[in-house]
Amino acid sequence: MFAVEDLSAAYGPVKALNGVTFTASRGQVTAVLGANGAGKTTLLRTVSGLVRSTRGTVKLDGKDITRTATEKLTSYGLSHVPEGRGVIAELTVVENLRLGGLHRATASEPMPIERIFELFPRLGERRDATAHQLSGGERQMLVIGRALMARPTVLLLDEPSLGLAPRVVAQIFDLLRGLVQSEELTVVLVEQNARSALSIADHGVVLNLGKVVASAPAAELAADEQLRHAYLGF
Amino acid sequence: MQQFLDTTLGGLVLGAVYAAFALALCLIWRSTRIVNFAQAAMAMVTTYIALSLLNADVPYWLAFLAALAAGFGLGAVIERVIIRPVEGKAELNAVILTLGLFMVLHGLTAITFGVQHRGFPAPVSTNAISVGDTSIGITPFGILTIVVVALVMAGLVVLFRFTDLGLRMRAAAFNGEVSRLLGVRVGRMLTLGWALAAAVGAVAGMLIAGGDLVNPAFMDPFVIYGFIAAVLGGLDSPLGSVIGGLILGLSLSYVTGYVGEHLAPLVALGILMVVLLVRPSGLFSAAAARRV
Repeated sequence: MFAVEDLSAAYGPVKALNGVTFTASRGQVTAVLGANGAGKTTLLRTVSGLVRSTRGTVKLDGKDITRTATEKLTSYGLSHVPEGRGVIAELTVVENLRLGGLHRATASEPMPIERIFELFPRLGERRDATAHQLSGGERQMLVIGRALMARPTVLLLDEPSLGLAPRVVAQIFDLLRGLVQSEELTVVLVEQNARSALSIADHGVVLNLGKVVASAPAAELAADEQLRHAYLGF
Repeated sequence: MQQFLDTTLGGLVLGAVYAAFALALCLIWRSTRIVNFAQAAMAMVTTYIALSLLNADVPYWLAFLAALAAGFGLGAVIERVIIRPVEGKAELNAVILTLGLFMVLHGLTAITFGVQHRGFPAPVSTNAISVGDTSIGITPFGILTIVVVALVMAGLVVLFRFTDLGLRMRAAAFNGEVSRLLGVRVGRMLTLGWALAAAVGAVAGMLIAGGDLVNPAFMDPFVIYGFIAAVLGGLDSPLGSVIGGLILGLSLSYVTGYVGEHLAPLVALGILMVVLLVRPSGLFSAAAARRV
């Protein structure tokens, strides 16, 4: 169980997160939705310690990780997947993956790179390519695969659909859905593309101006026409 | 023909030294995007440390190792104490700091060891090797120089290409934030980068000083030649730095041998200008590829 409670953060005088509370359950996808600037990315960055929280806690299976150094989170089983531009462009596909496996969740077996290539055959074909040569979809597969190398229990995904063709988005979301079941992952999926995100999510949290304005099962959010028009843009 | 062979061999030895120096600059540039103008002064300090040990009858190779270790420590301390506070700020801050550091190290060395020229021993002969009764333009120390620089390069290639530590260091240099998210202790890797660079610089210092005279300014020309070599090859590319060093060493040796010694610095600056005008990212930089 991954729980965020009353989390707040600010950029100087501007409050970017204002008392955000939600939980994400194991084996489920929790979508965090909202318009540009709603605080979605800031939420993930605050959880990872890249932005300092001013208030509130983040708990992973009951353990308080709010002030844990960013570098230590992968060893606790939490992997933050930056959007696809977060590949290390100068390294090859294999090097990016190897790097992901260097600081795994404690007491976990190393993940064989071949296993990632089974999940993403396209990456296997391009194993020796430098990451800057990859297409947007391939980069997205690479950052997800790289995070899996750390054998996480919680996966925080930042806008995996950004800049990708709808067909590629569907493909990546399908894979994600499969992973959640096979690996018993807790996934927090930050997305601007609310329609696609809700189609694979179990639960949804809607942010507006740094505050939670709705939190409900995904199907319920998708059915709420007023909410969709006001915050989700579909 | 004889002269051509001599100048070529001399150029290779010189080039190996420039390459080592360029490599030290490149290591720091890659990890922290700083051109370390204090590199020569740092190497000068470590060479003086070795000289003190040699004067106290410590065996040559032990003093060599001590210089390496001193460079490693000096690099780490400088990164932690002096450079860390300005990392991530305007790049000029760090550059000015390294220039200041250059002067401070110069001054401190002069106060501690004096400014007079002092002889520096070499572990092997510095007289030209003879084949039959013609002497060829390379000395045993010159051969040693090339071998040592080649070993340093090979060591760095192994470190960066084949080890997990090297992978962490490269990742930290290329993308600090993403590396932190993957669990890499980026600060530590940057310190290690400076330490390694300073150790490579210390090796260069020992090779330049061997069989020659040292004073606190003896390394100064090398920071300029090393910089030119690194820019020529591409500051980003260790391989480029090495090739840049060799090209520069050979060019300067030919100019010295066929035209005149006094023209060498001019030619070096000419090379720098042409590279900056025509291909500012250097011959081997990945920057061009990145634009695709």
